[in-house]
Amino acid sequence: MEKIGAVMVIGGGVGGMQAALDLANSGFKVYLVEESSAIGGRMAQLDKTFPTNDCSMCTISPKLVETGRHLNIELLMDSEVVKVEGEAGNFTVTVRRKPRYIDVNKCNGCGECAQVCPVIIPSRFDQSMSQERAAYRLYPQAVPNAYAIEKRGIAPCRDACPSGQRAQGYIALIREGRYEDALRVIKEDNPFPAICGRICNHRCEDACNRGLLDQPMDIRALKRFVTDKVYLQPRVPLDPIQPNREQRVAIIGAGPCGLTAARDLVRLGFPVTVFEALPVAGGMLRVGVPEYRLPAAIIEREIADITDLGVDLRLNNPVINLDDLSAQGYKAVLIAVGAHEGIRLPIPGADLDGVLLNTPFLRDVRLGRPPELGKKVVVIGAGDVAMDCARTAVRLGKEVHVHYRRSRAEATADPMEIQHAEEEGVAFQFLSNPVEIIGDDRGRVQGVRLIRMELGEADESGRRRPIPISGSEHIVPCDQVIFSVGQQAGLAFIPESSGVGVTREMTLKVSPRTLATDRPGVFAAGDVTSGTAYVIEAVAQGHKAAASIHRYLEGRELEPEPPPELPVVKLTGEEMKERAARGEVRVTPRVRVQTLPAGERIRSFDEVSLGFTDEEAQAEAARCLACGVCSECLSCFYKCGLGAIDHDMVERLEEVRIGSLILAPGYDVYSAHSSQEFGWGRYPNVLNALQFERILSASGPTLGHVQRPSDGKVPKKIAFLQCVGSRDQNHPYCSAVCCMYATKEAIIAREHEKEVEPTIFFIDIRAYGKGFDAYYERAKKEYGVRYVRCAISRVVEDPRTQNLLITYLDEGGEIREEEFDLVVLSVGMVPSASTKELAKNVGIELDAYGFAKTDPLTPLATTRPGVYVCGVFQGPKDIPETVAQASGAAAAASEILSEVRGTLVTRKEYPAQKEVQEEEPRIGVFVCRCGNNIGGVIDVPAVKEYAASLGAVVFADENLYTCSQDTQEKLKKAIEEHKLNRVIVASCSPRTHEPLFQETIREAGLNRYLFEMANIRDQCSWVHTHDKEKATSKAKDLVRMAIADARLIRPLEELTKGVIKRGLVIGGGLSGMTAALGLAEQGFEAVLVEKENELGGNLRRLKTTLDGKDVSRYLEDLTARVTHHPRIQVFPDAVITDFSGYVGNYKTALKVGSDGKGKEVEIEHGITIVATGGEELKPKEYLYGQDKRVLTQLEMEALLHGDGEKIGELKEVVMIQCVGSRNEERPYCSRVCCAEAVKNALTLKALNPKAGVTILYRDMRMYGTLEEDYTRARKAGIRFLRYEEEHKPEVTQKDGRVQVTFYNPVLRENLTFRPDLLVLSAATIAADTAELASMLKVPRTADGFFLEAHMKLRPVDFASEGIYLCGIAHSPKRIDESLSQAAAAVARACTVLAKDQIQISGVVSVVDADKCAACLTCVRVCPYNVPVINKEGVAEIEAAMCHGCGICASECPGKAIKLQHFTDEQVMAKCDVIVEVLSDVFKEERV
Amino acid sequence: MKDFEPLVIAFCCHYCAYTAADLAGTMRLQYPSNVRIIRLPCTGKVDVRHLLETFEKGADGVYVAGCLEGDCHFLKGNFRAKKRVAYAKKILEEVGIGGDRLEMYNMSAAMGPRFAEVAREMTEKIRKLGPNPAKRA
Repeated sequence: MEKIGAVMVIGGGVGGMQAALDLANSGFKVYLVEESSAIGGRMAQLDKTFPTNDCSMCTISPKLVETGRHLNIELLMDSEVVKVEGEAGNFTVTVRRKPRYIDVNKCNGCGECAQVCPVIIPSRFDQSMSQERAAYRLYPQAVPNAYAIEKRGIAPCRDACPSGQRAQGYIALIREGRYEDALRVIKEDNPFPAICGRICNHRCEDACNRGLLDQPMDIRALKRFVTDKVYLQPRVPLDPIQPNREQRVAIIGAGPCGLTAARDLVRLGFPVTVFEALPVAGGMLRVGVPEYRLPAAIIEREIADITDLGVDLRLNNPVINLDDLSAQGYKAVLIAVGAHEGIRLPIPGADLDGVLLNTPFLRDVRLGRPPELGKKVVVIGAGDVAMDCARTAVRLGKEVHVHYRRSRAEATADPMEIQHAEEEGVAFQFLSNPVEIIGDDRGRVQGVRLIRMELGEADESGRRRPIPISGSEHIVPCDQVIFSVGQQAGLAFIPESSGVGVTREMTLKVSPRTLATDRPGVFAAGDVTSGTAYVIEAVAQGHKAAASIHRYLEGRELEPEPPPELPVVKLTGEEMKERAARGEVRVTPRVRVQTLPAGERIRSFDEVSLGFTDEEAQAEAARCLACGVCSECLSCFYKCGLGAIDHDMVERLEEVRIGSLILAPGYDVYSAHSSQEFGWGRYPNVLNALQFERILSASGPTLGHVQRPSDGKVPKKIAFLQCVGSRDQNHPYCSAVCCMYATKEAIIAREHEKEVEPTIFFIDIRAYGKGFDAYYERAKKEYGVRYVRCAISRVVEDPRTQNLLITYLDEGGEIREEEFDLVVLSVGMVPSASTKELAKNVGIELDAYGFAKTDPLTPLATTRPGVYVCGVFQGPKDIPETVAQASGAAAAASEILSEVRGTLVTRKEYPAQKEVQEEEPRIGVFVCRCGNNIGGVIDVPAVKEYAASLGAVVFADENLYTCSQDTQEKLKKAIEEHKLNRVIVASCSPRTHEPLFQETIREAGLNRYLFEMANIRDQCSWVHTHDKEKATSKAKDLVRMAIADARLIRPLEELTKGVIKRGLVIGGGLSGMTAALGLAEQGFEAVLVEKENELGGNLRRLKTTLDGKDVSRYLEDLTARVTHHPRIQVFPDAVITDFSGYVGNYKTALKVGSDGKGKEVEIEHGITIVATGGEELKPKEYLYGQDKRVLTQLEMEALLHGDGEKIGELKEVVMIQCVGSRNEERPYCSRVCCAEAVKNALTLKALNPKAGVTILYRDMRMYGTLEEDYTRARKAGIRFLRYEEEHKPEVTQKDGRVQVTFYNPVLRENLTFRPDLLVLSAATIAADTAELASMLKVPRTADGFFLEAHMKLRPVDFASEGIYLCGIAHSPKRIDESLSQAAAAVARACTVLAKDQIQISGVVSVVDADKCAACLTCVRVCPYNVPVINKEGVAEIEAAMCHGCGICASECPGKAIKLQHFTDEQVMAKCDVIVEVLSDVFKEERV
Repeated sequence: MKDFEPLVIAFCCHYCAYTAADLAGTMRLQYPSNVRIIRLPCTGKVDVRHLLETFEKGADGVYVAGCLEGDCHFLKGNFRAKKRVAYAKKILEEVGIGGDRLEMYNMSAAMGPRFAEVAREMTEKIRKLGPNPAKRA
């Protein structure tokens, strides 16, 4: 099987990032799949982290940037894994890439899209505590630094519209009062907004989800409103579009269909001629619809907007013969002549004088030549055209009667039209059918014979068929009859010979998908193909025909690509009810449009509908439910200067080939909706912990001010309720972090507001991690956090004050009540809904709670080989454990791929560096507009001119977006052309963009340090937005500072050093052996040093794991693998006597063998792993060592696996927890003892069910899934009784027995036991490593454990590069935790060992030996112990070890040390500029 | 003296204060344009000489902004800076420029609002103190 040197990591939180970085830094290509729009995960949302109160964002931010920029990490954002095929070493993964609607590669994060987005939604990042826009960036520091658009699907209004009008979009813009923008987006799909705003049959409204609640939106009236507002201004003629194509197109008919097509084609660059038979354009709109419904001026305006573009409109120009057009050279023809001929009923008298047809009648009136009518007019028909005829006749002063053969319900006219007609005095007779028109002797109409009808069965149209009632004939006298029973096309100009087919219904035959007729190059659309339809259909057909003609003329396939299937957001009645119940929507009836009073209407052809006022329109627009979330208003599209927005993006599937897979999808916080007794979601002042975390954050919704949501006041009393969604029926596990985060939030709240009084209501405080107990104690003692051990029953709000009344059962069993201002629920961790799906798609098993199923002896492996897991998905845990597991998973995932390491990674090749050291500075300055972000505030040309005028600047330029790909090329060219040897970019922040520009100049052959940036956006245009003058002057100043600096910067050499591909592991216990084996399996040599004669450490004393796995056998196997591995060299009975060197190049001296016979061994190695472990304390209390019935837990474990007979005799066993831990001498929790006690108790119970077992504890720290074992133990009859620190148990010998007496706070009395055995859960203490620590120059805690580089994010690193730690050397831990950490140390080590050479930054301190007085100041102040006094007697700083902080340079009294790239000269040059320039600027303002 | 516009220099560490300054921008928080930032890898790089020389050259106010105490990216650079600022303040006081014109601030990368607040605070304070007396000489 071919192995693939790539790994996929799923989940972009802190775990996923760590795994990805470790893999990418050790020679593997990484695909990082993240379902959201940014990496960072939960940690990015946190304010501070426990137990150091570090700022979460500060610590995670460098990781974000490194992950985002890594050459060998490919980010697959907005993505999910659908399928995993293949086997370990060679998988093919199918990934669903969801549309983001913004191109990550083009977006530069400027945020202009969000500024113009009208859609407001609750912020996800702030947990709905603030608002954001549908175009959003998850958080300000998000990586990738690109926006995304939240779109749920197509809004039903848009879906229902034949022309796809973005109704939700323009409604959102109306709500914001942006009428011009609204009109622009309407016109995108429809050139006739004012017309459709009046006469459209608005199918959008029928589809509107709002109809499920009260009434649909009045979308048509809103559309008209927009045009009313904008058309108040005189029309500004549009610029014509110059055709850029040869092929001419002829369109027959200037109706809505023909004109729409003409507009589309002209915009595509085709020359278009429109032939119109009538003297006016507009078709039926102009000569069919009466003025009172559609004023001619409006039609003319909208048509002018089309003809302006360059459409050649020829009025009074009927086409007589189709062939003529071909002869004139038109390459394509569109027939869009509409249906303008009325239909005469085939009844006697239909030809009499005085019988009119609907369309000619309306046309004549509209063209100003109304026919002579008699006094009384009968209109036959009840469609919209019939209503137009009737109401027109009314306005001509006639008495009008409408007769219709069906009932009112079947009438096809808009009911509002019928109502208006009635208001205007039109008489309706339904179920009345004409059978004959009766004429007088002069042949003039004098009446209509009608017959009454009744309704029978439904016909094919679904309407009930009218049946004549025999004998009901009667005559209605009248002077005039108008037939209005339908219209058809006039097709005289299309003879049979033309090759264009005609249907039986007298419409043109076309292919429905292409609108092509039978004759090539001739297309037909609109009413002429369909019979009479609505204007919006004509528009839609016009677009379709134009697209078809476009394809035809380009010689492409005529059939269009099938459109992507996008979900339509159709809500159900149920969903709507739920929304209403949650208070998200309220029943609000539609705003009524005012009309002219009927009395006024009939006197003129003035428009009937008056349209909305501003207030009415705003109120109506506010009713929109924003179904699609993004409204597709296109504001972002118009605004984005980078062309990054693409609303047509669709989901696609992508296949990725990898060798192994790591799952790090994280978790959801428990939704407290499901715990209604706490009132979350009902009471505004009940928050979940993540919401409170956001409140504490300086960049959160309240900018870090502690405020309660209901009134913004500072809450005095805050209650934290623990175990919400943990340790309950549905979540039988402990979420492992809540005790500590609640403590942290209580402390931080106190730090922010002195008057806050936090109380934490809890069951057990599980402060089991490194430094946690000290943190808990500090919270109590220094911050006055009150801890109450209890069970909470409910939270009830006082509706007057919105304070919260908490009812709880205290430890003694009494019910108590207390009032608080704010309640914070310490919600647990639950596997997110999407992880279940993920597990199914990847093909791994889950445990009963939905976490990935793993084994304690292989904690990082899932049930599918080649698929590994880390973080909370493996079980609840905190950040450092997640990070350690992530590194461990990286080690596991790469171990099976070690032979293909380095096969798929990209290495960048650069051109040779130009020698510029001796040249005079030739500076190029590039000033960025950043679209409007800088250009809208700062006078960029002026800054550019200013820069050009300064010395040493040989070239200055401005760019729209300096970071864009094409500008980068421009920059390179400028370097070449102008022989630049220094480059300055004045734009955004060096934090985000310096590496990009440095890369660019390096690609152009310049040393990357010959670059300088001026931050004129984040620190200038964005913070002085309202003072353009001052911002410009400051920008000039910043550029000048950069120039001053650039003149002094020097190219710096980036040294490389070789790497010795061998690791030294100190300590041969479980962690050390695992680490050594890991290094060897990764293909590197390992040297394992153990002080004792035998390998195994504490593991030799453990027999089983808590779930019964055989530890002894595991140890045997492991020892055999380690000792027989060809790449591992084991030195038992050895100690380290000397240690020197730096990352990649260490030298260690060993003394092997004791008793003076020892030999010296020297080892050269590239990395060091410290795994020195710890041991069980020998207690000094409770009669230990004095009475042999008093044992430690390890001794008990040996007993349980030894003398079976003795176990059988035991009647009563008592265990005491926290012996030697959590006291003054050792203020830490030993973490493992609770589980060890439960394990031994359960083993004892299994061997001897009759034995009574009692465990005396302070807090049962059965964290994570250990909670389940705790429950199991209680069910097995093991008694757990609490004692208090201040009343420790007393152990005495009485009557030859061991007696234990203690005070139990639950029963509130002293209890006494006389056990057969007393088992002490003794503390775990660190090995004695004082000497080793000083040799390695690595720090230890006060408790003697080693201190890692960073508590959260570098749990297995030391601050000195190349030295790592794992296992109990770090702090007490269980087997699975040690295994994870050991693997983590291997992964970290591989990032060094995998490299052939290590590159060293140029920003390091260098010593001028001539000036050095060897005063030792630098040696003393360096935080990393780097400087040494060398053989020549002067200070020496090893560049490979220097971190570049510059502390030594500042402290050196002789100024013998300088920090390269930040020299004193450079700093002072900047100061000079500031003082000089600013003095000038402020001179006039000074007195 | 009503129209006196103070000239303030801020030495900011790259990891926290400079990042906070960027965040203030992202959040569009407005502050006076009197402050000029000089970016350093760590406030541990700030030299007593730099602090004094900037006043000598004519700055009206100077402040050093580093990470929160205990959060320094370089472990203890900000403590070094704190000591040096205290020392330089004493000298400024002795030579008559006034120790109040120099301050040390600590802020995290997430404290954009705090950065803007400090910029305002410092500008206002120096405005009240008036021009650097060393300059008049």
